[in-house]
Amino acid sequence: METDPTFILCVDDEQLPLTLRRLVLETQGYQVLTARSAPDAMRALIQQPVDLVITDQVMPGGTGTELAQSIKKRWPDLPVILISGIHEIPSDALYADLFISKVEGPAALCTKISAILSARRCPQD
Amino acid sequence: MSETHTVNILMVDDQPAKLLSYEAILADLDANLIKARSGREGLELLLKHDVAVVLLDVSMPEINGFEMADMMRQHPRFQKTAILFISAVRMTDVDRIKGYQSGAVDYISVPVVPEVLRAKVSVFVDLHRKTRELESLNRELETRVEQRTRQLQESEKLLRERADLLELASEAILVRDLAGVLTYWNAGAEALYGWDRNEILGKPVHEIVETEFPAESTSSQSTLINDGRWDGNLVQKARDGREVIVASRQVFKKEVGSVLEINRDITAQIRAEEALRQTERLAAMGRVAGIIAHEINNPLEAITNAFYLLRNHPSLDEEARYYAQLGEAELARVGHITKQTLGFYRESQHPINVPIAGLLDEVLQLQGRLLLVNKIVLDKKYFSDGQIRGIPVELRQVFLNLISNAIQAMPDGGKLRIRMGTRWNEANGRTDLCISVCDTGMGIKPEHAKHLFEPFFTTKSTKGTGLGLWISKGIIQKYEGTIQFRSILFKGRNMTSFRVILPGVSPASKGFENTRNVIDEETERASLGN
Repeated sequence: METDPTFILCVDDEQLPLTLRRLVLETQGYQVLTARSAPDAMRALIQQPVDLVITDQVMPGGTGTELAQSIKKRWPDLPVILISGIHEIPSDALYADLFISKVEGPAALCTKISAILSARRCPQD
Repeated sequence: MSETHTVNILMVDDQPAKLLSYEAILADLDANLIKARSGREGLELLLKHDVAVVLLDVSMPEINGFEMADMMRQHPRFQKTAILFISAVRMTDVDRIKGYQSGAVDYISVPVVPEVLRAKVSVFVDLHRKTRELESLNRELETRVEQRTRQLQESEKLLRERADLLELASEAILVRDLAGVLTYWNAGAEALYGWDRNEILGKPVHEIVETEFPAESTSSQSTLINDGRWDGNLVQKARDGREVIVASRQVFKKEVGSVLEINRDITAQIRAEEALRQTERLAAMGRVAGIIAHEINNPLEAITNAFYLLRNHPSLDEEARYYAQLGEAELARVGHITKQTLGFYRESQHPINVPIAGLLDEVLQLQGRLLLVNKIVLDKKYFSDGQIRGIPVELRQVFLNLISNAIQAMPDGGKLRIRMGTRWNEANGRTDLCISVCDTGMGIKPEHAKHLFEPFFTTKSTKGTGLGLWISKGIIQKYEGTIQFRSILFKGRNMTSFRVILPGVSPASKGFENTRNVIDEETERASLGN
């Protein structure tokens, strides 16, 4: 039984894909915030702590992996998922917790998110 | 030459008065008259001059006429020299004169009748002149014959050499008339077309080798006639039905009406060029496909998400939901294609040590549900943990492709056999990792075998992208490995086996070297439908 809402920050430079991804996540009952760039995402995180970050890899003004690195510096326990149109895992992807290809589809994305979130919670219980 | 030849007449008599009278008698003969007062002097003069006839007094002191004649006959040069004896008519003399069998000999009796002397001498002079002329003609003729013989020998040698050269040439060299009827066919032509010269000479060559002229046959023919030559490539058929492509050079000899033709076999070269073009085209296609697939992925995710939202929207009735599902299913196919294509288009990454055993298990786990549903029995044995230095995603893609192909080949159940082990590679001194994936599915048709690794080749109609094996092969080649397959029918069952050989990481796994035989036997038994 869910008491507190789970917050997810969704980062992508393209508006339409970002909106659709937010809508999909909302169907799963998550509270979704959005940011259009890596610096935007950092600013949003300072204002509002979240439970998980999903970021696109290729973005102007800072890549997803760079964002993951900055996040891990300040919030080492905050899970970060990289989502990308390229299947290649970037060499600095190790800062992220998971790398997902965009073609895997919404169902796979949701399953993986919930797996990561529950893995976070279990050790605390 | 013979006209200028002056004839010498030697007159021998011990009486100067007689010599003078002979001189007077013979003055008209246009001959050089040489006088000798004795046999000895006569012999000396004979040696110095080419004498046509000797006028010889029989009765001389010291050496008489007969003695001198005997001496002359003993000398080879004078054996045939004409001798005209002058003697008083005595029977003994006449008999003796008749005794000279060889050479021209006559006699004249004393007193000398000038007309008779002149007549007899002139006969000998003429004879001598004719003989000399004949000799010189003969000599001339002989030198000319010799010369011609030498010339003929030389040109024959030259021709023989050229004929040998023509036979040596690897090109097909032939001579034909404008209608194509053959008069010459060298060894190169025999080798290229497979027709013996005695089978094809006298026949229309271009009909027999089924020449395909690049343009209309008549246009190359008219070029040949008008310009005297024609160059171009021809497609022809050898005797065994093999198609050959030749670079042909033809020259038309108007004066004899024949065409000299040299055809060089460029079939292999053309095929190699085609193969190269094909490879380049495939590589370019791969790159383009990769770029397009990547560009498609971004909007594709958005559309997929949109369909997901649509399908799950509460306001949708059953029919609309069905349509949304159809759209979603088709989108999944697009995703599958881009995933496959992108898998190939991959730039460098940092390779790491990948345990293939773990990777195979991962793939098998992914396919676990399918194995269960399709009633496929899994039989796996690892004789090594199989460390490969590489990029996990790539290696996973290879084995995912092979294993899912195997599963798809067995919709009605079967056996999936996976083997992995190391083997010592003698050739390059490294330990290779050898992984085989065998299925007892529908098998690979022989006509499909050679297209198996081509892009967009699929036997699964709508299900397959035709990229899986192509991509897998590309990845394996990148790792300097090889992929082979075998598909055999045994006791009514198909056995298809794909074997991937990859260079191993390090000689750390020494203990596995002996597994070579085990895995080979295993594979062998597997392919025999054991």
